[in-house]
Amino acid sequence: MKWGPLLVAVSTFGLCGWAQMRTVALPGNSPVVTLRLVFTTGAAQDPPDKPGLARLTAEMLAGGGTKHLTHDQIVNALFPMAASIGSQVDQEMTTFSGATHIDNLDAYYKLFRAMLLEPGWRDDDFKRLKDNAINSLRVGLRGNNDEELGKEVLLSELYAGTPYGHYSAGAVSSLETLTIDDLKQFYKQHYTQSHLIVGIAGGYLPEFLDRVKQDFAALPEKDAAPAVAIHAKSIQHTRALIVEKNTRSVAYSLGFPIDVKRGDPDYPALLVVQSYFGQHRESGGRLFQRIRGIRGINYGDYAYIEYFPRGEQLMEPPPNVARSSQAFQIWIRPAEPPQAAFTLRLAVYELNKLVKDGIPQEDFERTREFLSKYVNVLTKTKRAELAYAIDSLYYGIPNYNTYVKNALARLTREQVNTAIRKHLRADRLEIVAVSANAQDLKRQITGAGPSTIEYNSPKPADILAEDKIVGSYDVGLRPEDVEIVPVDKIFE
Amino acid sequence: MHALFIRGLKFWCYSRGMLLKCVLLLCAAAVVFAADVPQKTFPFAYTQEDLANGLRLITIPTDSPNLVSVYIVVQTGSRNEVEPGKTGFAHLFEHMMFRGTDAYPPEKYEEVLRRAGAASNASTSNDFTVFHTTFSKEDLAAILTMEADRFEHLKYSLEAFKTETGAVLGEYNKNSANPGEKMEEVLDDTAFDRHTYKHTTMGFLEDVKNMPNQYDYSLTFFDRYYRPEYVTIIVAGDVNQKQVRALVDKSFGGWQRGSYHPDIPAEPKQQGPREAHVDWPSPTLPLLTIAYKSPAYTDTQKDSAALDAFATLVFGSNSEVYQKLVVKERKLDSLGAFAPSSVDPDLFTIRARLKHAEDIPAMRRELLDTVARFREELIVADKLDAVKKRERYGFTIRLDNSDSVANTVAQFVALRRTPDSIDKYYAEYRALTPEDLREMARKYLIDSGRTIVTLTGAAK
Repeated sequence: MKWGPLLVAVSTFGLCGWAQMRTVALPGNSPVVTLRLVFTTGAAQDPPDKPGLARLTAEMLAGGGTKHLTHDQIVNALFPMAASIGSQVDQEMTTFSGATHIDNLDAYYKLFRAMLLEPGWRDDDFKRLKDNAINSLRVGLRGNNDEELGKEVLLSELYAGTPYGHYSAGAVSSLETLTIDDLKQFYKQHYTQSHLIVGIAGGYLPEFLDRVKQDFAALPEKDAAPAVAIHAKSIQHTRALIVEKNTRSVAYSLGFPIDVKRGDPDYPALLVVQSYFGQHRESGGRLFQRIRGIRGINYGDYAYIEYFPRGEQLMEPPPNVARSSQAFQIWIRPAEPPQAAFTLRLAVYELNKLVKDGIPQEDFERTREFLSKYVNVLTKTKRAELAYAIDSLYYGIPNYNTYVKNALARLTREQVNTAIRKHLRADRLEIVAVSANAQDLKRQITGAGPSTIEYNSPKPADILAEDKIVGSYDVGLRPEDVEIVPVDKIFE
Repeated sequence: MHALFIRGLKFWCYSRGMLLKCVLLLCAAAVVFAADVPQKTFPFAYTQEDLANGLRLITIPTDSPNLVSVYIVVQTGSRNEVEPGKTGFAHLFEHMMFRGTDAYPPEKYEEVLRRAGAASNASTSNDFTVFHTTFSKEDLAAILTMEADRFEHLKYSLEAFKTETGAVLGEYNKNSANPGEKMEEVLDDTAFDRHTYKHTTMGFLEDVKNMPNQYDYSLTFFDRYYRPEYVTIIVAGDVNQKQVRALVDKSFGGWQRGSYHPDIPAEPKQQGPREAHVDWPSPTLPLLTIAYKSPAYTDTQKDSAALDAFATLVFGSNSEVYQKLVVKERKLDSLGAFAPSSVDPDLFTIRARLKHAEDIPAMRRELLDTVARFREELIVADKLDAVKKRERYGFTIRLDNSDSVANTVAQFVALRRTPDSIDKYYAEYRALTPEDLREMARKYLIDSGRTIVTLTGAAK
């Protein structure tokens, strides 16, 4: 396999020869310098009885004081720079990032360094951040965001019994019992040089990068904890979980784990499938066209082969949520309750059609052309280019754009359809719905139907004929396969 | 058709970056840079041209290898929805514009976008609707041709119209899970009597539900506002001005100017404080919003800049009240204030989320006392200087790609139809004094122009 030229400098650095601190550097002339420090550890390393520990630890570093500065002193120091230091925690990656004008690089970096290397562990910061974390779960997710809730519940269900089996933000009862000592312990064990990837882009000088590397060599060299291994249990029969809450409409997420991640032979093929079937927030995907475009049922319908949090806010996938195990997911945006059962049948019907018929030649070519160019959009900022390069290091692939373009150039429709048959299916699904009147919905989605749909305008005969088939399409759910859980029990 | 206005400002971002390297090597960065800071805020050279039909074109070459962002700004938003029962139509049109023409039915439109590897979307606000696409530069001609076709020749059937109204209701539904959306609806409805800012961009739910019956009105709406004199095209990225102009002349040159001018009712002066409360049907954290009638956007006076600085300084994350109520006492879960830049007088809003409903009276008092305090006291000059620095650096950090450049320009185009407004606005910002902020607080943040809305959730 021949890769394109590597534009990103990637190196390892270690004072003792074996401590593998890695760097990804994109020097340039921009007056903006982006720092991105990624630790290849995260929520998957939470002890089983302490979900949310990795996330709260990172939030404590990014949102608390240092040994010498209180949180408000840091906020005041960052304020005139228009800079911030943010954290993001997923199952296997913890990211600290920010950008500053080069005028302020020295002052900014001093804060960044102190926050990560000399945390203050103050009790008042801890209480505030813990409160925020609990409210974010109870109100931000369960109360106000049915769609994200559905997606995270789906993943927790798919990975139950594995280190991914809890939401990275944890659970209320766990957060309530966490102590500062728990956080310190997590920090000491997992924030190591061997996990660290130092990313930097912009108009910095080489000496500056050397300084960063020297500073972070103060971290312990290695994490003694074993690496995470994910073996999701196979799903024996399609099943559904209805999260019951008082809400206007019904949001769905459904899917199953797949044995394909970035760098694997079938990744490019499934990337084409994802784009053809449900390119995120674009109107050209098959699901979008059939559910929203033709039938006007909801706001959008998409498909994924990689974890994609915050999809209702983001137009492009957030980088640095790399995972060693990924899931195929379908996101059906809220539908009006009378159409909800039909909508689920339609989504699974379309999935079945995809598995059975594969991708048409014309769509294959069009999608391949789209993706070959769209990768440039994904890395349109230095920030994104840097973050993608860090992910590429994690997955052991070269520059993402080069990887995708080269792979797509060689890809055939037959390979895509083989990959569909090998990795995708329309049975043995995990389905999550967020809905009011859960018993009603349960009754409507179990059994063979029929579900009907009424339109506010005449539809072509072929659509009406298809609706009859869809209305009776059996998604394979028996009443005993459906569980109803009140929303206040989710992530509690 | 001629170039009305050509700016020749050099490409400041990169020339600064290269200079910086040399300066750092000489260890004299601060001094040289203080002298090097230009008074222009918008760092890119651009060309602004008007076609004979009234269409405006703004071309901004940036260092975005191979990528181009096209933003088409229509100066029509929910503000233009002047007839009762017809709220939400500007937003509906954001959707309808994807329903195709004879030359480009939706499938063909999608195909051109797909083949261009384009990221494409649209959004609507009170004052404007914007359609934006970022793609590879070799597809510029294909994209502009297609965009011109749909702006001039949009054609949709009654059936397609009704279907799309379903998607709009779907959007209302997905938003409706968030109590913050309901809060905005009630705030606008309470604070305004006559002006169209009385309704949100989504529109009243009853109007959204009735949209399927408004096909004829939709044609009228399109005929009124999708006209070249309402539209500005911003092209930013790896582009050449002459090439862009030639393409726009060819594709948009035949579009006919319209004649409609909406009669947007002026809001009468508010005569006293108002209040409203929302009972949210499920458990949630309480919300408290305090709003004051604020001025229309201005780039020739200090009012807009002063209120923006006031919002940041008095209620931002490093303000005294934020540190007290959010960080130390932890009575509030979040706090922030926002001074909008709107075509007509709008609402300066202070938004707080509380931990406990019983704290609403005390928090309300604290926030009102804070406003009252800064109607009397002067803000410390150093703090105001910090805000000015923050604005300058924030602006530079944000403009790191063609999409962001075009997006930023679009916000000002919606207000004044030219990026020139950016420099004017930030010149006002730079000139602000603590006295200006106090004067604007005394002028606008007054009890007679105030509206307070609270929201509390159901018991668990």
